[in-house]
Amino acid sequence: MKLRYALAGALLASAAMMGGSAYAADLIAVITPSHDNPFFKAEAEGAEAKAKELGYDVISLVHDDDANKQSQLVDTAIARGAKAIVLDNAGADATVAAVKKAKAAGIPSFLIDREINAGGVALAQIVSNNYQGAQLGGQEFVKLMGEKGNYVELVGKESDTNAGIRSKGYHEVIDEYPNLKMVARQSANWSQPEAYTKMESILQANPDIKGVISGNDTMAMGAEAALKAAGRADVIVVGFDGSNDVRDSIKQGGIKATVLQPAYREAQLAVEQADAYIKTKTAPKTEKQLMDCVLINAANAGKLETFALKP
Amino acid sequence: MRWVGCAAAIVAGLLLASCRFIPTADVPALANAGAPNGAGAFEPDRMVASIWSAKVVPYFEKKAGPLIEVRDIAAKSPDEAGARFGYRAKSEDTPWTLMVKFDGVIVAADTESRASTISVDASGQGKADAIVQIGPAMRGTAIRDALDFVSFNDFTNQIDFARFGKAFNTAVNRSTLEKLPRDALVGRKVTVLGAYPFVSAAETPLVTPVEISAGPKP
Repeated sequence: MKLRYALAGALLASAAMMGGSAYAADLIAVITPSHDNPFFKAEAEGAEAKAKELGYDVISLVHDDDANKQSQLVDTAIARGAKAIVLDNAGADATVAAVKKAKAAGIPSFLIDREINAGGVALAQIVSNNYQGAQLGGQEFVKLMGEKGNYVELVGKESDTNAGIRSKGYHEVIDEYPNLKMVARQSANWSQPEAYTKMESILQANPDIKGVISGNDTMAMGAEAALKAAGRADVIVVGFDGSNDVRDSIKQGGIKATVLQPAYREAQLAVEQADAYIKTKTAPKTEKQLMDCVLINAANAGKLETFALKP
Repeated sequence: MRWVGCAAAIVAGLLLASCRFIPTADVPALANAGAPNGAGAFEPDRMVASIWSAKVVPYFEKKAGPLIEVRDIAAKSPDEAGARFGYRAKSEDTPWTLMVKFDGVIVAADTESRASTISVDASGQGKADAIVQIGPAMRGTAIRDALDFVSFNDFTNQIDFARFGKAFNTAVNRSTLEKLPRDALVGRKVTVLGAYPFVSAAETPLVTPVEISAGPKP
């Protein structure tokens, strides 16, 4: 009898393992910065939609750009038995330890949007070609400015590699034009309200500005609102991300241009690669994967929807 | 491969006598040494100088196809043109960077902008078949992106990878563009070896040269 029970148990267990998804689906954890920024929301939604389509359960968590909180969320993912983590991380250096911790627990990480300063820890780092995108934005800005005039740069969060790379990409282009003069450069930490207050005070000190180039769209929205409130709708604003908010502003003649990052697709690609690894232990061919950005202005803004261009 | 490396070492030794030669196999190692917190400083200009004559220019000479042929194939099948004359990193949605060589006549020149360009008629039909960047400012990273032995994987982050890309543009300025005449360009004959990212068949190729030379004033 005992033997028979054991055998039956083993059969049941193997049946459960083979058809596991029918009973309790495998779990994928999606961890991003706060969804207050529509970019991160789109990312999380893209990952979630793809994971569900492939038959996974999903937990979606936000770290609010706090590396300690991110570390706790990785613990949560481990404790919940997640099979993979899709992560838009909270700092290029601070995140390395968290991803190592997950790896030690046997959980692979698939990074999107932001890089970490270490290779061989995550299985994938799928990021927008921020440098190429910033050059596109910089070129459009130069054209809009007529190659001359005073301008302001709003920079993103210092701990994020993307803040530095975009700024560098902008300056590679803009600094070639000696008649374009940067009169102020401040970080508004990717934040719309912070960009609003910073723009207000920059404008008081430098009323003679002609343009603002911003490291992302939320800061561009904040700057644009402050300029409008001060009666300076004439100032040219260029952003980066390709959000629906900025699309609408472009259509109404507010912000002049932005650069689309294919965020939705990047998140989906990360889940597809996680799925391949979970099912067949196939890691992506290359860890670091760059996806090109696209310039958005009045000519093609109509085709933009949730961080993707409609055909 | 050993032979190639050997020949490369000799050529590099001859051409870059004043520079310390770095075997090409060490390029990724060099890139990794560029970690912000690492001991070694990341020196993209030195890395590019070490491979420019020995590896980059010969690579272009070997892979480049005649501009008109490459362009016409790309219009029908970008993947075929890419496989024969180009390279792209394996990531999704990365455009092909195509390598081309051509002779032609300069039909227009913009030397007002820091990012100067010439328009070149390479088919004898009196209109521009390519726009060639002649610096000193140059857009994009076409030279870096054409190289099958360079991978983003080998760099700490996008900032280092971008600086590496920019270093190729600096190298072109030094090796060839600074010798190019800047006056009375229209009507001169020109010979170009370079690369362009294939965006769409509707767009005139924007070529970043690796080598360029112009004839006398017409």
